Amino acid sequence: MADVMEKFFEPKSVCVIGASSTPGKPGNVVVKNMRDAGYKGDVYLVNPRGGEIEGYKVYKSIDELPDNIDQAVVTLPASLAPETVRALGAKGTKAIVLAASGFSEVDHVGEALQDELIAAIRESGARVLGPNTTGHVSVPSSYTSSFFPLGDIPRGSVSYITQTGNFCGISLRHIMSAENYGIARSCGLGNKADLDECDLLEYYGYDDQTKSIFMYLESIKNPKRFLRVARRVSQKKPVFLLKGGASDAGAAAAVAHTGSLAADGRVVDGAIEQAGVTRLRKYSHLFQVAKALDTQSLPRGNRVSFLSPSGAFTVCLTDICRSLNLEVPDLEDKTCERLQEFAPPFIRMRNPVDIFGSVGLVGYEKAYGDALDAVLADRNIDAVVVIMMLTTETGIPKMDFIVDLSKKYPSKPVYVTFMGEHQHNVAAKEYLEPKGIPCYMLVEEPFEVLSLLASCRKNMPVR
Amino acid sequence: MATRVERILKGARAKGQKTLSEYESKLVLAAYGVPISREVLVSTQSEAKAAAKKVKYPVVLKGCSADEAHKTEKGLIAVNLGSQAALVEAFKTISKRAGKNYDGAFLVQEMVSGSREIMIGMHRDASFGPAVMFGLGGIFTEILEDVTFRVAPLRKKDARDMLRSIRGHKILGAVRGMPAADLDILCHALMAVGQVALDHPEIEEIDINPLIIRGSKAVAVDALIVLSDSEADGTSS
Repeated sequence: MADVMEKFFEPKSVCVIGASSTPGKPGNVVVKNMRDAGYKGDVYLVNPRGGEIEGYKVYKSIDELPDNIDQAVVTLPASLAPETVRALGAKGTKAIVLAASGFSEVDHVGEALQDELIAAIRESGARVLGPNTTGHVSVPSSYTSSFFPLGDIPRGSVSYITQTGNFCGISLRHIMSAENYGIARSCGLGNKADLDECDLLEYYGYDDQTKSIFMYLESIKNPKRFLRVARRVSQKKPVFLLKGGASDAGAAAAVAHTGSLAADGRVVDGAIEQAGVTRLRKYSHLFQVAKALDTQSLPRGNRVSFLSPSGAFTVCLTDICRSLNLEVPDLEDKTCERLQEFAPPFIRMRNPVDIFGSVGLVGYEKAYGDALDAVLADRNIDAVVVIMMLTTETGIPKMDFIVDLSKKYPSKPVYVTFMGEHQHNVAAKEYLEPKGIPCYMLVEEPFEVLSLLASCRKNMPVR
Repeated sequence: MATRVERILKGARAKGQKTLSEYESKLVLAAYGVPISREVLVSTQSEAKAAAKKVKYPVVLKGCSADEAHKTEKGLIAVNLGSQAALVEAFKTISKRAGKNYDGAFLVQEMVSGSREIMIGMHRDASFGPAVMFGLGGIFTEILEDVTFRVAPLRKKDARDMLRSIRGHKILGAVRGMPAADLDILCHALMAVGQVALDHPEIEEIDINPLIIRGSKAVAVDALIVLSDSEADGTSS
């Protein structure tokens, strides 16, 4: 199994069956995508018309291809899928991506076709991703099978398993354009005729390019195996799941109460909990939490400090922390004393840190910098959120001190959020994020992220 | 243990029962170490009197048959019977309510007092297989639906997590002058219910409701085991 997953994610050679010279057609976009991603392996194209596409030679049939090509991406119509899989299997290809839709997701005819396809997969000896998938992405190999235009995808340590093409399509484009973190692998599962979330989760579990795993699933194909695999993987790496769609209702005509209470997805909820998987409830958390883990570590616990330029934030964000199961603990005495040294005497420095007075006294960089250093050094604190106040009139500080201090305390995550002028906030995010400091445009977001990371940490063995 | 449980299940099936009686249900659970109330199954008034002496007053008298899953609704329960006179009176009333054709027995049970009622259940999920439930019991089960599930087999950690995951988890703590509930007993009971389901695929559902926390220790006061329609049904892949 490990070998075949490597053929999906680290292929040395690939063939595109149904390659096209027409711009915008999947069979054409796939080829361009591979080129744009910088894929270095051998690319073989197949189209009965032959000739040349995007500078590659085109073979007229699968039979003409060399044997044992690692992976095939098939962009032919659904009806041709079974015979294509058989033909590729006969040529020794072990990993096949089937893009076509028109199977069980559509109607009875499609269901019958999918059954035929499943039989063909078994005979072929190959493993299949899809059908009805946008494909997958493997950044360390500069490879993608997606037919959604992607370009050069930034490399990182986050990997996705999704029952949607979004994470090899529009959501990936969002990540690439609005965020500054990178990904390792991403896979759209499609109809899961063969490979399912368990296969991918298992692979990501031992894949050393993957440090955290994010899933979006609408169904779990093999629930018992999922429980087993997820339990194992979530001990080693943070695993998050957004479960879409109402789960199957419980037995309606149950004699006992337990049966009627087993509705509303309660059994799935329990199983996910048991698997050590951290539940996400918002789609945007698939980026927000991922971003936090790509460059910063998982916090050791739920004890938070934050630097605030506003008294209102110290109050209401403390309330929000409480509702999110985050602690805003007292700081050590020596931390308070240090904070007090550069604060006006009428402000009592404590957690959360009201930094406004200190900024007036000693300037932006020194006030924020020394305070950040002090709270990061505090043994009562697991993570720090810096709330920046950025306006033209108050001045825009140099922000490298945040980057430097974050490096000084690698086990304690530092996130930045803002209040002030939008243009400066955006510029600060664009400056800080590529340097490894996750930034959040709304003040609640970093706390939501920390709350999810703290519950994830609880699932993992103490290290 | 297994053979005794097998015998109960086989006997029930032979008689065409869809459920086990309360008495049989509790025997099965007790065989797996779930603490149950002290009780004696009787058929006559004089047997009931003798049983009450053994169990010690105050007692509870219940109609007990495989057909009476919801005894409260039918008025087949009399609680807190402090004397023989009260017991005799209750025996007459319950016999009358049960009707002339009632062929069930009666259960004389110790009166378990405690103001905290919780519930343990088991449901066979179509995907995950047997799932164990924990939640608030008694009348609050249906009103608050404050329950949580885990898939069997349960590890100790899963059981512990269940006790913490309901909204009303503080009910198990030291509240209002009551001692904290013994969590080990509850964990063991949760794990045991999962094991019953794994060992006996012909059991479709289990309700233990309520378990009353007497002092710090939970005791199963009522229980219902539902059998699957056919033996093959219960086994899921």
